[in-house]
Amino acid sequence: METVNPQDLVATLGSGGYPAAPWFLMLFKVLGFTLHAVPMNLWYAGVLLAMLLQAFGGEQARRWSARLLRQMPVIIAFGVNLGIVPLLFTQVTHYRVFYPATILIAWPWLSIIALLILAYYGAYWVAHGLRGGETQLRGARVLAGWLVAALFIAIGFVFANGFSLMTNLQDWPAIWQRTQVAGAVTGVAMNSGDPTLLPRFLMFFSLAFTTVAVHMVFDAGALARRESEVYRQSAARLALPVHVAGLAGFAVFGSWYIFGVMPETSRSALLAFPGVIFAVSTALAPGAVAVALFTLRGRPVSFGAGVAVAAMQVLVLGLNAISRQIAQSAELAPHLDITAEPVRWQWSPMVLFLVLFVAGLGVIAWLVRRAVLESRAMESQSNGSPGRG
Amino acid sequence: MHYPWWYVPHLTSPMLIAFIAVVHVLVSHYAVGGGLFLFVETRHAHRTSNREYLDYLHRHARFFVLLTVVFGAITGVGIWWTIGLASPLATEVLIHTFVFGWAMEYVFFVIELAAAFLFLYFWGRVTPRTHVLFAGVYAFAAWVSLVLITGITGFMLNSGNWPERGGFWNGFFNPQFAPQVLARTGGSLLLASMYVYFHASICSPSSALREIIGRRSARPALLGAVLIVAGGAGWFANLPESSVAALMKAPALNIFMAILFAVTVAVFAMLYFGPYRNPAWLTPGFGVLFLMFGIVAVTVGEFVREAVRKPYIVHNVVMSSNILASEIPGHRAAGFLESGPWTRALIAAKFPQVMDGTRIDERRLLDLPPPQRIEAGEILFMHHCNDCHATDTGLSAIPHVTIGWAPEMIHDVVTSPELFHHYMPPFAGTPEESQVLAEWIESVRPPFPAGMRFGPASAEGGE
Repeated sequence: METVNPQDLVATLGSGGYPAAPWFLMLFKVLGFTLHAVPMNLWYAGVLLAMLLQAFGGEQARRWSARLLRQMPVIIAFGVNLGIVPLLFTQVTHYRVFYPATILIAWPWLSIIALLILAYYGAYWVAHGLRGGETQLRGARVLAGWLVAALFIAIGFVFANGFSLMTNLQDWPAIWQRTQVAGAVTGVAMNSGDPTLLPRFLMFFSLAFTTVAVHMVFDAGALARRESEVYRQSAARLALPVHVAGLAGFAVFGSWYIFGVMPETSRSALLAFPGVIFAVSTALAPGAVAVALFTLRGRPVSFGAGVAVAAMQVLVLGLNAISRQIAQSAELAPHLDITAEPVRWQWSPMVLFLVLFVAGLGVIAWLVRRAVLESRAMESQSNGSPGRG
Repeated sequence: MHYPWWYVPHLTSPMLIAFIAVVHVLVSHYAVGGGLFLFVETRHAHRTSNREYLDYLHRHARFFVLLTVVFGAITGVGIWWTIGLASPLATEVLIHTFVFGWAMEYVFFVIELAAAFLFLYFWGRVTPRTHVLFAGVYAFAAWVSLVLITGITGFMLNSGNWPERGGFWNGFFNPQFAPQVLARTGGSLLLASMYVYFHASICSPSSALREIIGRRSARPALLGAVLIVAGGAGWFANLPESSVAALMKAPALNIFMAILFAVTVAVFAMLYFGPYRNPAWLTPGFGVLFLMFGIVAVTVGEFVREAVRKPYIVHNVVMSSNILASEIPGHRAAGFLESGPWTRALIAAKFPQVMDGTRIDERRLLDLPPPQRIEAGEILFMHHCNDCHATDTGLSAIPHVTIGWAPEMIHDVVTSPELFHHYMPPFAGTPEESQVLAEWIESVRPPFPAGMRFGPASAEGGE
């Protein structure tokens, strides 16, 4: 089967057509991935960093660690749900390569569900050990924390396998040959022969540390109202080295990926106009966040500064998602032309979805605002001082 | 076959879907009904200033969030994950038809999450009115997500006029939509009450409070029972003829329907004579037993609901053999192996002598030496039949179902399986392909069991 032309394995063109134009579907794919990347980065690198700081950090570092671990159940819940969007739209646009790639690694791919359930319950148990303002994890919960960190990294690695195999068609025949019974796939393989796998994985893992650093600042400015001034100063001070370390990894592994192992078609697309605009922006934007963190160091972070830095990081992740999409599209271009798919617009369901999407965000904002204002008012009443809100 | 086939020994990959789906349904229905329970009962507890009940509801809310937001949500993603692996063509069709339905469901999921966390984490930190509002928003969003997903699952069972007319709404408002919304809403109410009884019987401190919970939760549970009966009748009335015939014909489904009927009657009786008439019965033993009965009823019900779809994954659209119903005539002319990119590539690599340029010449399959014909037959079996039949041992394993079959019978069944069992998909290949498939089955079929007599034993003791 090594003689099999990978192009022959791309699934047959579907009969249904796209329910909306490819640009619309790609927009939601990229937007969805950007929104998913924010919480995902926090569990991906955040739990590991939180555990490292539990073991080796000072008092304020442990305080941030405990705050992140306490927030983790909510972060995971929203992160998982936000992850549905890019996967949904990936399956619409790239079904001809997505399904074969994931079937080739079916068992590791399916194991994500079991690993995620374990990691999620573990995160709850760890968070439970930090209730009531406790900052130090104790006993078996320390072990659980490390296990949760390892599980999230393992999940990330399997995801990197699936998505790199989706574009690595030339390895499909060999994987198929290794793992088939009468031509059927046993699904026990990984995309381990792909030279892009490791640098891609490490590049994104490094980028996740920059998001974790931004969380320190955002949390201190926007969420840590009850924490001391000292904590809010030290959060900004701690964020800078974490961000710089992440940035260094991003630069090293990103260079390895782009200039070392990336297929020529993708590199050309990224380094030629208009892709180069996004590639350069993706490379430079995290530096702008580092500069912002540098200016904030040693000062108590204000609400506005925390939100501004977080918005900058969302932009960084958005640019990264666009560049990834450019590289992915270029790599798949010889095998898959998504613009050739017939489009049968589903106007009314699409408009209804967009209306509900906007209305849903509005409802959530309204509920959160109501909760925050009322809880502050009740807190002020119980403290005997007028509410702020 | 459009995609590679995922071989899961003994179990077959579609059974993984069934397993994860049932586990998910047991929690997701509680996520809907439990939301309504928390909304109604929190409002009642606030209005009557019942601190003890509020404390209990707080404990229940923690249990609820831990079970539904974590396990329920992730197993829901797990179903989607598994159908993409085990039934990629059906998933492709469903996603291209209902992507905006799923996207809308996702919006309501996010609202659910936000409302659930606000309800739990702002307990006692907002006014009762706002607190109840959070529960209400959660309950509404959860029910809408049930409605949205039911449009898709109902479509799979009876696609109505969608194959002729197409379109999102034609598929969504299929004949099974309204009955299944009724039945699932009822199931959510009933199952939620069972979880409440289970939790309250173990965690509620006072017998007086347990009685309040028993009495108050019995009414929505009874309403749920009525909705299940009404929805179930509608489900049956709107089944395609093929599904009704499967219910009558398949012995396993006969047994499951009998179990479903018996367990459902037992659940209704336990509800009426237990919490409704005798709330004091709410002991841990009763709570556990009642929930167990509920779990059995839901599990069997879901299994039957899935099984009656055969020979389709999506009624009249996608066959259980992972090809489109509309493709069958073309496959019979061109060949099953030729029509799938993975099977064509496999045959070209393994048996280049049957290729005519880039196409498989099906006639040449019969020119292969016997061992290679059997090998080709196994490839056909794996890609055409393994979704329902295990290869050696396990679920409906082919050597087990063909014990003692004569070669002529194997050939006849392989050529026209739908004429023997209408819930089997038609063979979508050429006569040459059915020949090599029959030869492979013959090679694994055990002989007729020895020692059986169908008449008086002879004087010599022979048969």
